[in-house]
Amino acid sequence: MNSALLRLTQRHINRRLFQSLLFVIGIALGVAVGVAIDLANKSALRAFELSVSSVTGRTTHQIIGNVGDVPSDLYRQLRVELGLRRSAPVIETYVQATEFDNHTLRLLGVDPLAEAPFRSYLQTDDPGLLPALYTLVSVPNTGLISQTWAEREDIQVGDMISLRTPTQATVQVHVVGLLIADDNVSQQALENLLITDISTAQEIAGQPGMISRIDLILPDGYDVGQIEAILPPGTAITTPATSQGALSQMTSAFEINLQALSLLALLVGVFLIYNTVTFSVVQRRPVIGILRSLGTTRRQIFSLILTEALILGTIGTVLGLGLGIVLGQGAVRLVAQSINDLYFRVSVERIVIDPGILIKGAVIGITASLVAAVVPSYEATRTPPAGVMRRSAVEQKTRRLLPLITVGAIFLILGGVGVLQIRTENIILSFSALFLVLVGSALLTPAALVIMMRMAVPVMDQVFGVLGRMAARAVVRSLSRTAIAVAALTLAVSVIVGVSVMISSFRNTVADWLEITLGADIFIAPPSQGTARLDVNIDRAIADQAAMVPGVARVVTVRTVHVIAPDYPDLPPVNLTAPDGNITKRPRRFVWNHATNGDYWAALQAGQVVVSEPFAHRRNITPERNTITLLTDHGEQTFAVVGVYYDYTTDQGAVMMDQKVYRQFYDDPYLTAVALDLEAGADMQTVLDRLRTETLVGTGLQAQSNRSLRAGVLEIFDRTFSITIALRLLATLVAFIGILSALMALQLEHTRQYGIMRANGMTPRQLRTFTFIQTGLMGTTAGILAFPIGLALALILIKVINVRSFGWSMGLALGPQEFGQAFAVAVVAALVAGIYPAWRLSRLVAVQALRSE
Amino acid sequence: MIRFLLILILLIGVLLGGYTLLNRDDEADVGAHTQLMPTMQTSSFGFARAIEPYDWEFPADHGAHPEFQTEWWYYTGNLAAENGQRFGFQFTIFRRALTPFEPVSDSEWRTNQVYLAHFTVTDVAGNRFFQEQRINRGAADLAGASVDPVYRVWVDDWQIKGISATQTRITAEASDFSVDLRLEPGKPPALQGEQGLSAKSAEPGNASYYYSQSRLSTEGSMTVNGKTYTVSGATWMDHEFSSGALSDQTQGWDWFGLQLDDGRELMVGQIRLVDGDKDPAFSGLLVEADGSTRLLAAADFTITATGTWTSPHNGAVYPSGWEIRVDIGEAEPLELTLTPLILDQELTEGNVYWEGAVRIEGDATGYGYAELTGYLNAMRGRF
Repeated sequence: MNSALLRLTQRHINRRLFQSLLFVIGIALGVAVGVAIDLANKSALRAFELSVSSVTGRTTHQIIGNVGDVPSDLYRQLRVELGLRRSAPVIETYVQATEFDNHTLRLLGVDPLAEAPFRSYLQTDDPGLLPALYTLVSVPNTGLISQTWAEREDIQVGDMISLRTPTQATVQVHVVGLLIADDNVSQQALENLLITDISTAQEIAGQPGMISRIDLILPDGYDVGQIEAILPPGTAITTPATSQGALSQMTSAFEINLQALSLLALLVGVFLIYNTVTFSVVQRRPVIGILRSLGTTRRQIFSLILTEALILGTIGTVLGLGLGIVLGQGAVRLVAQSINDLYFRVSVERIVIDPGILIKGAVIGITASLVAAVVPSYEATRTPPAGVMRRSAVEQKTRRLLPLITVGAIFLILGGVGVLQIRTENIILSFSALFLVLVGSALLTPAALVIMMRMAVPVMDQVFGVLGRMAARAVVRSLSRTAIAVAALTLAVSVIVGVSVMISSFRNTVADWLEITLGADIFIAPPSQGTARLDVNIDRAIADQAAMVPGVARVVTVRTVHVIAPDYPDLPPVNLTAPDGNITKRPRRFVWNHATNGDYWAALQAGQVVVSEPFAHRRNITPERNTITLLTDHGEQTFAVVGVYYDYTTDQGAVMMDQKVYRQFYDDPYLTAVALDLEAGADMQTVLDRLRTETLVGTGLQAQSNRSLRAGVLEIFDRTFSITIALRLLATLVAFIGILSALMALQLEHTRQYGIMRANGMTPRQLRTFTFIQTGLMGTTAGILAFPIGLALALILIKVINVRSFGWSMGLALGPQEFGQAFAVAVVAALVAGIYPAWRLSRLVAVQALRSE
Repeated sequence: MIRFLLILILLIGVLLGGYTLLNRDDEADVGAHTQLMPTMQTSSFGFARAIEPYDWEFPADHGAHPEFQTEWWYYTGNLAAENGQRFGFQFTIFRRALTPFEPVSDSEWRTNQVYLAHFTVTDVAGNRFFQEQRINRGAADLAGASVDPVYRVWVDDWQIKGISATQTRITAEASDFSVDLRLEPGKPPALQGEQGLSAKSAEPGNASYYYSQSRLSTEGSMTVNGKTYTVSGATWMDHEFSSGALSDQTQGWDWFGLQLDDGRELMVGQIRLVDGDKDPAFSGLLVEADGSTRLLAAADFTITATGTWTSPHNGAVYPSGWEIRVDIGEAEPLELTLTPLILDQELTEGNVYWEGAVRIEGDATGYGYAELTGYLNAMRGRF
């Protein structure tokens, strides 16, 4: 490649600045969306890891207990009898700052005297700090909060903050100091921390005689058997890495799903680049012909075109990386919100810019540019030295290739469907299959476009007369241009259809399930914010008092706790839910139910359990492998699973056990929620008022009607999908740029033709109409094609991806809304993209246009 | 083409390199420090104080007196292995009340008492000094002092425990040294000062309640440098409790607990004031072989340092080696020369002081322990 050719490239880019800009924007958006999602995922995960390490510190082992409890005396045994000096007691729970919009804080109760080896921020090496730390130890209700939060909420050292805790409706804590992070990352990890002495934590949020866990730093090669020998039933020793690994595993499917969706944007972008590069090649055929006749080799021509793509691709990629970082800032909040709603508390204020992600984005962007440019570059080398090639030749060739492309498309789709048949847990493989189907469908666009335009000609003739006929034929005439624009738009709109249908199906399924399962009229529980629901222990007496309220016919209580399943150390603790009666409105739906006569309640009362669908999915429970071993307060106990029920509470799944059976195995008198059935004719509002003003006063608990609880659940559901909706919009934006660039290309290419049309007496207004009919037809085609493709995408998401990622099966819900909306997006995008070309056309001066050739 | 690619790769490399440098806060560790409100009062206000002579009652008074701010059980001993190798040891448990009143709570963790243990071993032949400390709260049975059912003072797995009517046992295992010792008193507790009221200045209340078991015959085992020795010898025990015992003018003190081979023990000491003078209120005690005691006024003895030792750990300059002259009511004063068994017996974790085994020569021979405080920082306000 010599400098003369490079200058040629430079001149070309300069002259066709708008076109080059579209290329750059296409690639930039594609890269930006991918990078933004990657950064957001990574930052959220990292923030989570840091917030875990902010409370685990240099811990090597942890002793954890069922129901979140470990006897305090075990700590004494470890220290006084085993002499384990590097051990620390911890009480950890969530509390809410009631004066600050119920902001959730992670309460960490520690013994400052035992902390030094574990967490850096309570070092007692500094003798000057010791007296002040003693304040924390000896003065009840004192605590430390992060400087960041204190500054944001304007809390001063010396202030009191009001908290709602698992055991107290309201308690005042005196802020006696601030945690000052050493760096930005630590700041984020510490932000929502409230540190108190362990005695204060126990008094305001715990149970006498119990702590949450014991942190240990064991020397290498320490015989853990010594500790295991003294562990009381219901406790286990684990490592923070195991529990952290288990937690981050929770979100992996969620992240892969987001990444795959972000790749869709890039896929649309690739079509765009292909289109742009092809156009620039076609446009310069005469130039290339001259170059060739002057002795430029094919290789050099190939390099020339590829270099152009590389230069534009690089500029686009760099812009994309920058834009990705900016978008990432927004995306991370959405991702964190979803993770908060679905999995665990995480607070992310800013993204961590990981060079690895940027490199990945750069590689993908530049590769995509090159791949998309290879075919047109090759095509350029085919130009014979004498510049005789005409536009029509290209179109002829495209038409000749049409059967080949169509057959290829069908093979891709069949291949994708084939891969989907493979029974695998591998989500990446499933997404690859989905991509095959999508790309195959996109390749079907040219054939579909030809057929549709043929059908459109008579219709257009009827409506718009000769202009309409011309427009429909013009679309087919320039198939090599229009097909790609339509394909890009079709892909984008299909994604909108697919994702919308998936979300609405999911939502319908959840709503149905809520309708079935939330049978009771009133529910009493602590106020919740997604997963931030406090693990509250409700006293049995509350249920008894609620039963006395006039109008209440029946009281059903539920205890929900996390217990240890020794067979699955790599998975998070098991959600165990123990109702003492049935509150479902209609019979629960089961995936399979092997209870005698299908009476699962009888089976539960007999000591067997049922598990939810995601639980069975994650732990591979089948009618053949139908047991689950749980660590109870009386040792390990194996339960027979008699059925798998549909449930959408959490993608971690749950085990349901009869409450009487639960109490036999777990020494835990508390309740988590209380459900009330009203007598026929009783007034809901009267009962609610009575509960709120009398029974529940001072308990921090909330009474909610069935309807408002259901609405709350669905609200969280909708919030969870906000990131998905945002991604959908970005894909549309990319497609919009695509169709705009394609139309611009068309218009520039056909300048001479338009000149002739003007010279023959067509008015600028007619030319505008002609353009809009053309773009409108393309948009309509994309909108119509998106129906079947979007539906296929939705089916794959619902029947394959969701089941394999989360273990949720759901029914397909088709509404006109999702399709109508997508169709409108396609047509509007096409029409809007036509505005600028139409405007330029109407200003076309016939003579100049003719001369330009 | 190749050139262009190279330039491109270089460009990306530079950009990413720049970013990597910008994002240096990528470590996995969460680091922070704490800024705390200076609310903790260190005055002795609200605590019981040592003003009147005390009405002693044993064994109850071997236990804790939580109404006083500070208390300690102080064991120092000179031991010899069967091969004649000499060792010193110190095992002390300090109690500190953070607030004057015992809190009431359902929480087994709630307390206002903190216990701190110092454990040292002096290996004379190896010229090495081992030290370690433990700290814990006086709650949840993690640390404490009691006499019910038996005398027991402990922090974690380090403890002093009564094992029979007269015998006590000290067990402490540090990272690379440990002791397991049985101690038996030959004499009744010797009350220091006026019936156990030991004045630290002329001002009433600047005093402690204080008794000593000046000679506990000791035997057991000691592990140092991975080697276990069977050891025997004599231990001095002090039990002292007070609140704000030191006057504002106190810089520190020098204390000597000396066990003479003739069966007598001698406690002398001096409280050094900030202006360089000695407080005249401090008294000493001579315990005769039969257990009877003779109170020594400050004027009855002189302590003269014969050398100094500069700490390589912190630069503090300590006296090292003493001439002690005591008027014990006989015609001639008792003249003793004290020499540290090794020079470096400085405790450097937490409060810094020198507590070490000494050899006694002169009118009588024997071994003892010297305690030198306030050479790095003044001690006033700390006890």
